[in-house]
Formats: sequence, C-alpha cells, structure tokens
Amino acid sequence: MENRPEIIRLDQLEKTYYLGSLEVPVLKGIDMSIRQGEFIGIMGVSGSGKSTMLNILGLLDVPTGGHYFLDGEEVKNFSDNHLADLRNEKIGFIFQSFNLSPHLTVAQNIEMPMVYAEMPRKIRRARAIELAEQVNLGHRLRHRPAELSGGECQRIAIARALGNRPSYLLADEPTGNLDEKTSDEIMELFKELHREHNTTIVMVTHNPELEPLFDRVVHLRDGRVVKGEG
Amino acid sequence: MLIRDLYALSLHNLLLHKIRSLLTSLGIIFGVGSVIAMLAISGGAKQAALAQIAVMGIDNIIVYSKTLRKAGSSENARSTTLEYGLTHLDLANIRKMENIEHITTARNARIRITKGIEPLDVQMFWVSRHFMTDLNCKIVKGRWLAPSDFKNSMAVCVIGKNVKRKLFKLGEKNIIGRKIHVPGGAFSIVGILENNSGTTIEGINNLNETIFIPSTTGRQIFTEYTTETGPRMLKIHHVENDLMVIKVQDTQVIDHTAKRIRSLLEKTHKDKDWGVNVPLSLLRQQESTQNIFTIVMGSIAAISLIVGGIGIMNIMLANVYERRKEIGTRRAMGAKKRDILFQFLIETVFLTVMGGVIGIGLGFGLAASVTHFSGMPSDVSLWSIIGSITISGIVGVVFGTYPAWQAANQNPIQALKAE
Repeated sequence: MENRPEIIRLDQLEKTYYLGSLEVPVLKGIDMSIRQGEFIGIMGVSGSGKSTMLNILGLLDVPTGGHYFLDGEEVKNFSDNHLADLRNEKIGFIFQSFNLSPHLTVAQNIEMPMVYAEMPRKIRRARAIELAEQVNLGHRLRHRPAELSGGECQRIAIARALGNRPSYLLADEPTGNLDEKTSDEIMELFKELHREHNTTIVMVTHNPELEPLFDRVVHLRDGRVVKGEG
Repeated sequence: MLIRDLYALSLHNLLLHKIRSLLTSLGIIFGVGSVIAMLAISGGAKQAALAQIAVMGIDNIIVYSKTLRKAGSSENARSTTLEYGLTHLDLANIRKMENIEHITTARNARIRITKGIEPLDVQMFWVSRHFMTDLNCKIVKGRWLAPSDFKNSMAVCVIGKNVKRKLFKLGEKNIIGRKIHVPGGAFSIVGILENNSGTTIEGINNLNETIFIPSTTGRQIFTEYTTETGPRMLKIHHVENDLMVIKVQDTQVIDHTAKRIRSLLEKTHKDKDWGVNVPLSLLRQQESTQNIFTIVMGSIAAISLIVGGIGIMNIMLANVYERRKEIGTRRAMGAKKRDILFQFLIETVFLTVMGGVIGIGLGFGLAASVTHFSGMPSDVSLWSIIGSITISGIVGVVFGTYPAWQAANQNPIQALKAE
C-alpha cells in the first residue's frame, strides 16, 4: 500500500468562514493522505467539518489556508473553468439523493459528465452501456429515474460518476436515503469496484455501522483529524 | 461542451414543458403575428394604390369635370341651363403650355344603357385616339378604334371586358361585329379592352365597364347638351369635356405643370367645377403615409415584443430557481459557468424564435382572413418574415441573458443543497 501513488494529500488545510466581522474556523489544520486504491471513510458528527471537507475535496470550495495536492498537483488559485475541468476529469461525485435528472433516460444520465468532457456521441453511448452493465442495470437504459427503485437510482449515479474514469469517487452519504437491505447492496457494489477495479473511494458518512467496511477511517472532530490521517 | 449537445439539451428542456413553453412565448407570438398581419395589409394597400396609380399613368396629369349640384340662382325656375366642366378653350389653353406631350380627352355620353328594360351599370364615353395607350389598357380581342373610324365618324365601339358579361349571354363567344343598341344609334363592336387594375379613377368609372366610341362619332350623335327632365322642370346640362389625360414630357417638373394648370383653371372658371390629379404626387403621398404607418407599427411591435420579452425573462428566472439542484449537479459533474449560461440562453432564444415562427403563421392567417372577410388585399413580404425571426432571436438574447447569467453564477454548493 505504501508504494502506491498518492491521490490526495492535505497539508495543514484550513477553512475559515467570515460572517461579517465574525470568524468561524471550520477546518483547523487537516493533515491527510489518500493513496490510489484506498477505500476511505470520513466520519464525524454534524458540525465536525465533514461537509466543508467534502466541498473542498470535491473542488467546489477553496481552502483559506494550507495545501491540497490532487494527483501530485497543488490546487491553488485555479480559475473557475480549470476547477470545473478538474472536477470533470478527476472526481466522480455520488450524492445522498442521487441527483439524477428526472427527464433524462438512464443512458442520458450516465452520459452527463462525458458530455462535459466533449466525448463524441457514439463513444459516450457505448461507454454508458458498458457502465450500466457494470452496475447490473444494462436492461434499464431507456427507463427514466422515476421508474427505478432508490437502489437502482444510486447504481445509476455510481455508473455516472465512473464515466470519465476519475482519479477517485467522492460519495456523500450514498446510503443515507436507502433502506438497510438496499444500503447493503450499494455498499457491496462499492466494495466490488474497490476490489475488482482498484477504484479509489472517499466516502463521507456519519453512519458508524459502515466503519468496518472501510480500509481506513478518518475521524473528524471539531475541524481536526482525531484518528486515521494516513 | 459540444455546441450540438448544448442545442439538443436546450431543445429537450423546452419540449418537456410544451404547454408552458407555448404560454411563455404567447407575448412574442401575438406581437409578431399582429406585426406580420398589419404589414401584410399595409403592403397590400400599397400594392393596390400602386396599381391604381399605374392605371392613371405615372407621367400623366388627370384633369376632370365636376358636376355642380347647386343649379345656379333660380332653383324654382322651370328650365335651367347648367354650364360647367372643362371647356374647349381650356383644352386649347393647356395645349399651348410647356411640357405637354399630348392630351387625350373623353366625354361621357350621359345615356342610359339598358338590356331590355333593365338598366346596366355601364357608361359610354367618346374618347380621342390615344386613350387606350395613355391609360395603360390593352386589347384582349379585336382591335382599338382606328384612325379611319375617327375620320369617318364610324358607328363602332370597343367595350370593356365586363361589359360583354353584362350585355350578352354567357355562352356567346364571338361578339366582334355584333351591334349594341343605345338611344341614339347602334354601334358595331370592334374590340374588347382590358384594364388590369380594375379600379376606378376620378372622372371616369371602371374602364372594364365602359363602352368607348370615337370622339367624332360621339359629337355628331349626342351633342354637348344633355337634358334632364323631372316633374315640371327641365334641366339642360352643357359640358364640353369630362376628362383630360395630359401626358407630360418631363416628369421631373410634373408638379410645376400641374400647378400651372390649376392656376389657369382657377382664373378661367368662377366655380370649382374641375379637379386635377397628379398620379405621381399621389404615389409620393402614399409613400409618406406608408412611412408614418410603418413608424406607428414599429412602435407597437416594439412595445409588444418588450412586454413579451419581460414575460419570458420572468418565466426563465423562475425556471432557474426551480432547477438549482440540476445546475449544482451539472457544475459538480464539470459544467463550466459558460456551459450553464449557454444552456439557459439558447433555451430562451429557442423559445422566442419558435414564438416568432408561430407568430408568422398566425400573421399569415390573420392577413388571409382579413382579405377573405373584408376584401382588403394583403401581401406578406419576405423581409417581414426574415425581420420577425431575427428580432425574435434578438429578444431572446436580450431577455435571456440575465436569467442565464443568474443560472451560471449560482453557488454550486448552495445549488446542490436546494430541493
């Protein structure tokens, strides 16, 4: 594990919000490293800085201090367009409420990040079919999200996240909206991706039951890593 | 994002809400529709006016006699003689003026033409030789009055094409050589004349409903005096000329020539028993009226398009708010601000251009139904169509930019949290 390349390295990462004259430090110097192929859980109670961390890892927000290296490159002072390109190429987002577009078919939903990568239509469609099959929903391509169960929706969302072969998957409470059985199935899919395709996965959750499934768990408390910085 | 995908996405979003899209673009639809219809009707009116003016001839000055209703001083007199209209002296005087090429004259025979005992709406005019060419008519059958007809005062006539229909039975084909019987004599038909416009001009009614005879013949048979009898009264009308069509040499100074004719007639006639028309200046008048009309129309169009555009902007703003989560998701997936901006902008432009296209259809329909029910001519010009589509597109860009900018500048974190 130690000799695998580092996908993410956070070095004394800080994030402070300014509400008028009030300073609200949320992340207070995070040191963390995630290597290729790791299945990492980021856990903590609400208010521990989990969401802020997720936004920064997902390049939706920028830190106010410290350094964030993604694939060895420091993310710093990048333009909005550059950040969008990085999100498109390197990060596969998975959301708690799936965020599928209800008016698009399963295939079109899976194609969405590939559209922004300007992938030609035919290649995109072939890749969408391949991904749908990978999540065992090859027969659902022409359906719309409303015709699918919650578990199926999340599988589609996972297939979508894999479209541009990202450096890692960033999942935000992916089982939060699912019942226990479906939740187990989705976790099984993540483990399968991790085991068979060596996919790097970062999952933010507050569900302690999932803890045993991760390679390593980063515990956040009050804006600091208390355990598992790697 | 590829342009093609962008178009497909925007179109897809519009087609999702067909009814909403249609309602949203109603302002544009009605705005464009009414403009197209109005322009078509004013274009039709212009065409009609042009046709009428063309009949009168662009290098002509038309001088005509007016009947005086006021019968002199003694209304109760048993017999009165009314003398009015253009005289031979007027003709001679005008002939002496500068810039006159030649003058064609016509006089109404003032007889009642009947078919059996049924009066017909047909008049007989005795005319000089250039009448046909100067008034832009053509012969559809037979021939025009020949110089020998004038020289020998022949009892021949040329009839307007509608006269045939009124005087003869439907099945009768060859009527050349047939005779028309009127009070005063019988005239052999030598030709049928057609005037394309079918319009009336002052001093003479529809040329297609008129019978023409040589002036020499007319003067012999009918004289310049006409009597009108009533209960215990007798009116004698003395009219020397009803119509003069004066062809000028140089149209540049046609207004000046007309002015001189007017002042001549003002000096020699004590009553206003004459009128002067200059088709060319009527054309100019028509054009300036047209310009005013266009300005008024343009203002109405601009207002309705602004109102329509504001309506669309409103809906698009609501649309952006409604689709925040989608915007956030797209941003997370790698959409750039400009991808979102163009997605919404193209959606708005599609909406307005589609509205414009539907509006053009509506305008066509309106113009056609106005023509159908009121008989006003209409003519949809290609330019009004191209202009409408272009302006619809511009309205889309103008009123779509702000909502699209709002969409593009949503904070992705906030947008993702939206429900």
